[in-house]
Amino acid sequence: MNAENVKSQMRKGTLEYCILLLLKKEPAYTSDIIQKLQEARLIVVEGTLYPLLTRLKNSGLLSYQWIESTQGPPRKYYQLTESGEEFLQELEASWQQLNDTINHIKNN
Amino acid sequence: MKKTLTINLGGSVFHIDEDAYQLLDKYLSNLRIHFKKEEGSDEIMNDFELRISELFSERTRLGYQVISIEQVEEVIKRMGKPEEIFEEEIQDEHKSTIYDTATQMGAQSQTHTHKRLMRDPDNKILGGVAGGFAAYTGWDATAIRIILFLLMFYYGITIPIYLVLWLIIPQARTATEKLEMRGESVTIENIGKTVTDGFEKVSNNVSDYVSSEKPRNFFQKLGDIFVQVVGFILKFVVILAGIILLPGLLFGVLIMLVAVFALLVGGSSVLYHLSPFGMDWYLGAPSSLVIMGCIGCVLLFGVPLFYIGSAIATSLFHTKPLPDTGKWTLVILWVISFILLGIYFYQTGINGWNSLDWSNTSYYIL
Repeated sequence: MNAENVKSQMRKGTLEYCILLLLKKEPAYTSDIIQKLQEARLIVVEGTLYPLLTRLKNSGLLSYQWIESTQGPPRKYYQLTESGEEFLQELEASWQQLNDTINHIKNN
Repeated sequence: MKKTLTINLGGSVFHIDEDAYQLLDKYLSNLRIHFKKEEGSDEIMNDFELRISELFSERTRLGYQVISIEQVEEVIKRMGKPEEIFEEEIQDEHKSTIYDTATQMGAQSQTHTHKRLMRDPDNKILGGVAGGFAAYTGWDATAIRIILFLLMFYYGITIPIYLVLWLIIPQARTATEKLEMRGESVTIENIGKTVTDGFEKVSNNVSDYVSSEKPRNFFQKLGDIFVQVVGFILKFVVILAGIILLPGLLFGVLIMLVAVFALLVGGSSVLYHLSPFGMDWYLGAPSSLVIMGCIGCVLLFGVPLFYIGSAIATSLFHTKPLPDTGKWTLVILWVISFILLGIYFYQTGINGWNSLDWSNTSYYIL
C-alpha cells in the first residue's frame, strides 16, 4: 500500500462527480471545465479529461453543442442532460452518505 | 535556419518546424494507439487536436509565426503523456507488482523486472524478430540477422523458424511493453523517457535502424549495409508471397470447413468421396475412429492455414490481430489434432504416410 496510490484512487473516484457539479451550475466549454478543475487542483494533465467527457457523453449524462467562437473555430459547449441530473442527485446522496460515514467514524 | 511545414490542426492552419511536427505527430499517434480500444476514440482524438490547436492559436496571436519544438513540448506537458492519461490504472498495478517482487527477491530484481521477449517495431527488417532477440539478449541485431541469413542455406531452416516466431511473439507496441522488452523497470520516469526517445527517432523504416545505433566500426557498418540490402529483397519477397498466397490460404480454410461440415452431416460415408486415398485410408477401422482421424487431419492442416491466413491479412490490410485467447485456442486445437492422429494411426496400424496410396492424389489436387 502506498499513500499516492490511494490518493489518486480517491481523486479519480470524485472526478466524474465534480464535472457534473460544475456543469450543473452552468454549461461550459471544455477549456473552462479544465481551468476550473485545475484551480480546484483536481487534475494535473488536461488529457485526462477528454476521454472522460466523451465517456460521460456516450452514456447519456452529458450533451454538447458546437458554439461559434470569436477567436478561432467553434468549440464544444457541454451541458447536463436530464439523466445526468438524476445521476448527479444519486451521486450527491451517496457523497452525503460517505461524508456522514467518515464524520461518524472520526467523531466516535 | 529551419524548414517548416504547414499543417491543418483542428481546422486551423499553422506553420510548424519540421522537428516540432515530428514530435507532435508521434505524440498524436501514440495517443491514438492508446485510445484505440476506447469507444468514441475518433471523437477523443478530435478533442485533443482541437485543444492543441487552441493552445497554438494563443501563441500565434502573440505574434509568433511558427510553432517550435519548445511549444510542442510545453503542450505535451500540459496535455499529459499517453501513459499519464490512459495507463494510470495499469500503472498502479504495475507498480504494486514490481514492489511485491522487489520485496520478495531483493533489490536486484528492480533493475531486471520481468524481461519479455517481444518483437521490436523500432528495430526491424521484416517482423522485428531479430531486433526483439537483440533487445532480449543484448547481442547485436545485425549479427543475429547475419546468422539467420547464413542458416538459410542449411535447407532453408531459418524460414519456418522465423515465420513461426514472427507469428507467435507479440510486438512491443506501448512504451510499457518496450521497456519490458529491454528489461528496464516500468517506472513513470522510464516511460516518459521512452516516449520522448520515440519522438526523436523517426522510425518505421529500414533506413533509420542504422542511424539510431551507437557509433559502429567498419565491419559492423558493412554488416548493416548487407542486412539492409538483403532485408529489402526479403521484404519484397514476403509481401509478394503474401499477396499470392492469401487467396489460396483462404480457399484452403474454406475447403477444410466444408469437409468438417460434410463430416458432421454425412458421417463416415462422406469420407470415401473426400479422401484421396480411397478405402485404404480407413480400411477396417470403426467409423468413430475414422471420424476422429479425419477431424484430426482437418485440424492439423486447418489450424496453421487459418493462422497464417489471418496473420497475412493482419499485416497486409491492418485488420485487428487475433486476441491471445484465440491464439491459445488454436494451439490447443493443434495439439489435439496431433493426439487424435496419433491415436488413429496407432489403432489402425497404418505406419504413417508411406503406407498410403498416393497414386490417386494428383487427381484430387488437379
